[in-house]
Amino acid sequence: MELDFLATLLLSSLSSAAILLIATVGLAVMFGLMGVINLAHGEFIMFGAYATLFATQIGVPYPLAIVFATIVTAIFGGIVELLIIRRLYGRIFDTLLATWGLSLVLYQSAVLIFGTVTPGIGLPISNVQIGDYSISVYLLFLILVAAVLIGSLYWLLTKTSYGITARAAIQDRETASAVGVESARINTMTFALGSGLAGFAGAILLPAIPATPNMGFAFVIKAFLAVVAAGPVTLTGTVAVGSTLGMVGNITASFWTSVVGDIVFFLLTITILRIFPLGISGRWRLKL
Amino acid sequence: MLQISNANGGYKRVTIIRDCSLRVSKGEIVALLGRNGAGKSTLMKYTMGLVDTFGGSVSIDGNTLPQSTSKRVKMGLGYVPQGRYVFPRLSVPENIAVAALACGHNRHESIDDAFEDFPILAEKKEALAGTLSGGQQQILSIARALATKPQVLLLDEPTEGVQPSIIEEIGEKLKRLNEERGLSILIAEQNLDFCLSIAKRAYILNNGSISHETTRDELIENKTILHELLGV
Repeated sequence: MELDFLATLLLSSLSSAAILLIATVGLAVMFGLMGVINLAHGEFIMFGAYATLFATQIGVPYPLAIVFATIVTAIFGGIVELLIIRRLYGRIFDTLLATWGLSLVLYQSAVLIFGTVTPGIGLPISNVQIGDYSISVYLLFLILVAAVLIGSLYWLLTKTSYGITARAAIQDRETASAVGVESARINTMTFALGSGLAGFAGAILLPAIPATPNMGFAFVIKAFLAVVAAGPVTLTGTVAVGSTLGMVGNITASFWTSVVGDIVFFLLTITILRIFPLGISGRWRLKL
Repeated sequence: MLQISNANGGYKRVTIIRDCSLRVSKGEIVALLGRNGAGKSTLMKYTMGLVDTFGGSVSIDGNTLPQSTSKRVKMGLGYVPQGRYVFPRLSVPENIAVAALACGHNRHESIDDAFEDFPILAEKKEALAGTLSGGQQQILSIARALATKPQVLLLDEPTEGVQPSIIEEIGEKLKRLNEERGLSILIAEQNLDFCLSIAKRAYILNNGSISHETTRDELIENKTILHELLGV
């Protein structure tokens, strides 16, 4: 096997791990930190994608459109928390049902408003040459985005006042209120944060994954498996599981087909959960 | 200072405490004694707004407290729950920071204050709270409650599952906080020796109602009360 092939394979695997992580962190925040299974996570990603598309179509430059989409999706998520999720904390099945309903509503609204086909955004895609192979600069850029995103999220949740309080409220709501924390407000902010991250994913991935009403489906199952297999140390666990699964899936897919890649992905997840029923981070002594 | 009037409370429709009234004056340490299941913890939780209220009120300096637990904390009630309930995946300083931030205090100053009050915590400043021993967690739980800068500190069974050397340390510290800063303290306890060593006055809770109000001296002299009501 040639070195240039290996390098290309490594980079493309890293970038597909990066895509998975970018699409997953929002869910990791909601499920891992709040215990809310948000079945509409994929539709939040779609929401971000359409918001970006809308912004670029009215002439906003793409980088600003990403910021716009992130904020709009975060606000939307905050409203969803206030209207729906807030009433359902601790009621997992009701949350599942409610967010599934929300997912259907969002999906059908997108079909009605935008139709099932939408134009992509015209971003000049350039490639870098590695020996006989080439890989798109954009995919390499996503690796950097994922790293910065996770780094900032870790900083936000371990160093800032909001982050420390949010983690306390999530670990033990009653005790948090008994030291003065207004859990309700913190929960709204955390749900908005998770939604914003989903919106960001839809926006930043738009050049690779065009906005379509069902684009969320592609992510949501893998994202869920990654978060569940990650276990209680949400962020570190998700990064470990997500990047492993993403890379292994990509490597097998590049040797065989993407179907084999997906099968390996699922088999690996099942194996992880058989060995670590609480997720791989069940016994980790880490903050996040 | 702290006044609980005709407290009736419990869970869902089950009333556990009935018509309990008690008072803790400024700078006083008061014990709440009773057998297992007498309702001590429920009365403490009632005071914090953590159980359902069916009647009665809690006030500080004549101001009736709202139902919201977090608002009660901000109005001067500090709470150390039974079983400690530190945030296990938060580090020791983060546990203190949460309380300080929630009540609008500077987190770095509060952490420094806590380390000064409890040097044992400074030695553990890198550790996650869940990895501490029971006694260390108890101290952290007290330090966390103090970071809210309370006027009245409620402690629910602070000696449960704590090694004797740390029990003594906690007792000394509470006495000092009370003398130096005028902190009022209400302690629910089964450990009578601990209570008699720091509290001057006590209420005895029996079957969800306060059956006696008594003093330390009376408790020490009159063993029959102890025997009848506390089974010791």
